[in-house]
Amino acid sequence: MKKLSIAQEELLLRFLDGELSEEEIKRLKNQIAHSPELQNRYTELKTVHSFLSRKIQLDEPSKLFTQTVMNGLDRNPELANHSYKNGIYLLAGILIASALAVMLLLNGVFTETTSSLVIDATSLQNKWMTLPTLAIPFNVKIIINGIIFLNLGIALILFDRTVLKPYFQKRIMIH
Amino acid sequence: MITTEDEYLLIDRILAGERELYATLVNNYKRYAFTIAMKVLENRPDAEEAAQDAFIKAFHYLKGFNRKAKFSTWLYRIVFNVSISYKRKQKPVFQNIETSIIEYSERADHNTEQQDKNLFIAKAMNKLNEADRLAIQLFYIKEFNLEEVAEMMGQNTNTIKVRIHRARMRLADELKLILKEEALTL
Repeated sequence: MKKLSIAQEELLLRFLDGELSEEEIKRLKNQIAHSPELQNRYTELKTVHSFLSRKIQLDEPSKLFTQTVMNGLDRNPELANHSYKNGIYLLAGILIASALAVMLLLNGVFTETTSSLVIDATSLQNKWMTLPTLAIPFNVKIIINGIIFLNLGIALILFDRTVLKPYFQKRIMIH
Repeated sequence: MITTEDEYLLIDRILAGERELYATLVNNYKRYAFTIAMKVLENRPDAEEAAQDAFIKAFHYLKGFNRKAKFSTWLYRIVFNVSISYKRKQKPVFQNIETSIIEYSERADHNTEQQDKNLFIAKAMNKLNEADRLAIQLFYIKEFNLEEVAEMMGQNTNTIKVRIHRARMRLADELKLILKEEALTL
């Protein structure tokens, strides 16, 4: 059986959609009458067309629909939903803050900043007990590094939620 | 149905503070809005909620409606977008293929052959990709034309036209295939 071209199929669909001129309809009807392939395909497409025309109807919402909408007019829809734009702004802010911290770190701003956490135990000392001074040394550089890593972690999560997830969901919808 | 001019007057009055008049717009478009949401979400309670949210959103942004397009087109785009964001939040539902077929077949014709064909097409509908299925369903709601469907889905008119043509050809192919298989098993 001879296979129909895409153009012929498109012509049949345009005919079903009522997009053809009188002249085109006459010509196509003549072609259908002389080609069993075209006739078969026309029947198949017509079956699909009539099914969709008959079966796809308007759905009826509930009786309380309008009342529910009117009662909810004071509700701010923006507050209920996560804003995609806000996520992007937050992501940009986190990245800028992390970049600044990295730059400061690379320029050696925190290199010499070491300190120790001194716990004042003098109030606990008395004549029977002498406590040594407790000092926990800590490096500011390590803390800044930790904050940067934490920021980058948050930035990655935000990137996933605000950019990657919506992008791939949209791609799934389109293809 | 109210005319475009009457609709603009109504919108002006709503914006001037007569918010109870918004009910007229809701009543006028609720079936269309709900149908769009139903086609996207395929779930009645979610569709109802999404359509209602879309109307509330439209009310809040009514000031921004620039009147270059029809109010209905502007509203349907909001409904479509709200429904899509609901769909993203929706947990995946593993719909039984037989159940979805029943939805179509319940309203099927009494003629057995026609009923079978309808069942086959309904089965084939489930094989279409989501965007093609949505495009074809919205296009066959008589009140929506190609441009409106394109505007709603945020895509080019030609892209939507290709989707609708491709979907119908695919449905016809599936129908042919199923009927051939049926004939062979007889």
